[in-house]
Amino acid sequence: MGGAAALITGLGLISAAGGSLPATLASLERGERRAGPVTLFPTTLAVPVFEVPALPGADALPGQRTLALTLAALAEALAEARLGEAGSLRVGVCIGTTVASQLNDLQFYKRYRETGTAPLAAAERFLKGNLAQCVARRIGARGPALTVVNACSSGTDAVGVALAWLKGGLCDLVIAGGADELSHIPLCGFHSLGIVNPGLCAPFDRERKGLNLGEGAGLLVIETPESARRRGVAAELSVAGFGAQGDAYHLTAPSPDGVGLRAALRTALAEAAITPAEVAFVNAHGTGTHDNDLVEGTVLAELFGPAVKVLSTKGYTGHTLGAAGGIEAVLTAAALRAGWIPASAGFACRDEAIPLAPVTARTPVSGRYAVSTSLAFGGNNAALVIGREVAPC
Amino acid sequence: MLIRGLGLIGAPGFGADAWEGALRAGWRAPAPTAAGRAAYLVDFDAVPDKTLLRKLRRADKLSKMAVLAAAGALADAGLEPGAAGRVGLVLATALGPHVTTFEFLDGVLDYGDAAASPTAFSHSVHNAAASYVASSLGLQGPTLTVTRFSFAFQEALRLAGCWLAQGSCDHVLVGMAEQYGDVLGYLAAEKLGSAADGRIRPFACGGPGPVPGEGAVFLLLGGAAAGASGCRIDAVHIGCGAPPAGTADLLLTEADGLLPDASGYLPALNCGVPVAGYAPLAGSMLTGGAFTLAAGVLMLRRQVRFAAPVPDNPHALPVVAATAPARLATVHSLALDCGGDWAITCLRAG
Repeated sequence: MGGAAALITGLGLISAAGGSLPATLASLERGERRAGPVTLFPTTLAVPVFEVPALPGADALPGQRTLALTLAALAEALAEARLGEAGSLRVGVCIGTTVASQLNDLQFYKRYRETGTAPLAAAERFLKGNLAQCVARRIGARGPALTVVNACSSGTDAVGVALAWLKGGLCDLVIAGGADELSHIPLCGFHSLGIVNPGLCAPFDRERKGLNLGEGAGLLVIETPESARRRGVAAELSVAGFGAQGDAYHLTAPSPDGVGLRAALRTALAEAAITPAEVAFVNAHGTGTHDNDLVEGTVLAELFGPAVKVLSTKGYTGHTLGAAGGIEAVLTAAALRAGWIPASAGFACRDEAIPLAPVTARTPVSGRYAVSTSLAFGGNNAALVIGREVAPC
Repeated sequence: MLIRGLGLIGAPGFGADAWEGALRAGWRAPAPTAAGRAAYLVDFDAVPDKTLLRKLRRADKLSKMAVLAAAGALADAGLEPGAAGRVGLVLATALGPHVTTFEFLDGVLDYGDAAASPTAFSHSVHNAAASYVASSLGLQGPTLTVTRFSFAFQEALRLAGCWLAQGSCDHVLVGMAEQYGDVLGYLAAEKLGSAADGRIRPFACGGPGPVPGEGAVFLLLGGAAAGASGCRIDAVHIGCGAPPAGTADLLLTEADGLLPDASGYLPALNCGVPVAGYAPLAGSMLTGGAFTLAAGVLMLRRQVRFAAPVPDNPHALPVVAATAPARLATVHSLALDCGGDWAITCLRAG
């Protein structure tokens, strides 16, 4: 891709929808929604969640499920990128998460609270479990490494950091994306906020009642054209633009006027040097909560027009929090490459307050660009433009 | 990157003036915590203007510290929040709102899964503090919270340099924030022991352990077009193996007792360049090197070397023993981690 600063040479994905990117795409094409009750920990909350049923390596990493998810996606992304050890490459690692950044082991804390002492194993795991540092050690990366903890936009923001590093010359290649496990604590937290759906989530639907939590990881190998050329790796996809903007409004609610999201999208489109009309589809944050979908749908319709092809993949994966931006960036790139997007699972009834409706069936898409958006607690908004090379005539 | 403003809050007080006062006054003993451990804690009574604190009455302590430090950096630069152009924000923290997380866990344990506190949960998210900074100061630029257990602040500085060079922002507020809690005090004591007399010894290069601290530091950084500032960050280097020999007029060590084996500092600190370390004033924090860097900023601004507050010097290093005027063009700040990596932040006058 002639002008692209950052080529995507590898994609890796694991979620409830599938243990790999091909398996996930096949599942999405069939319209499967693999939600079920919580099995990973005891809870009194009877709500559906999207768990990864068979996680490779989980037994070898007790108490580090997010890391196991990360490594599963990493293996797939590195294989596609034909990258083993980092070797002489300057490799950066930037991964978004929420759960892996917190020492929220309930049994450790319960014991400490009751006795004033507790075994240190949980704390040791936590202190050794910083995702970016772990991955950097695993692959011998010697470039910059950061774990982004920007709540639900963490994965998208991590890709934005990767783009800034590559453009700034800090490294040749970055492993970027997001990962999060399903955890007891955020499940209780989101339930306390009253935004967990007792049934399956329905993004953008008139009767939407909240989100379903999920887990997974989505990682991209992103590198400079020079790096890809030196390694002899072909690239069909690129990160063409990124924008992030804060609402400066509220700790948990998006600004009703969508000021931050609008600005983030405009920044991303400007960096990609494209107009909204050149965007083939938008993979929306689309959580299925009342406020998010209203604000996001309104801004997307305003910017891209009410007929824009929009979907939310959270109906297939659940809301995977810090992983969501990474997973959705991978799915956006894969759909752009494949030329189709799945139905926006859960949508049935148009909400007249939202001036657009997501796609309701497998839909062909054509064009060189697609957008993925993330909105987060703290008023963070982030947007990615993914690009696809057009084969020469 | 030009350092336009410096703001901080820690056990020594609020603001760059308070930090300079502490650097001139020398070591003070830490306070005992409720659990009987020693720690350097923030007292909001030391904040003279309570306007922001009143606005932040619902916020947790981590967020309050971050907002006060960020606001201090803008004020130090003589800028109203709205006058700084497009301002990005990067907050580095190792442990984030862990105290609030445990408060939330209290609710789960006491009242069950279905009745935990939504307020505690929303404040237990890692980026809550940055969100409060942005909303309190009206900053709508890119806002990022990042975490590592070593060099998080240094990586944040490098990212800010990219944002400025690429024109993403006119200024970037780069900061750190850490909060002390009893669980942290317990873990530090169990894993690393503690300095029995409350003195962190930066030049001992091993033992006697940390004295936990808390606080926040923010720098307001601008690009080359930002105007004169008195001090700039020339480079931030992160590498592995033996750190390079010091070439600055003054070399600062960020050693604070948190490394079980800090002997890796010795070769770099023993190369003839005067050395100093100020962790004993603010306490041990995984991102606490920012306090040391803040001391470097003040020394370059004032053209003075501050005496090392705890000069215990078993290895006969060239430790700065007295506060005195000095011609300083460059100050480097060195940090090591337990994985054999190092970070050097290079400050320059002008």
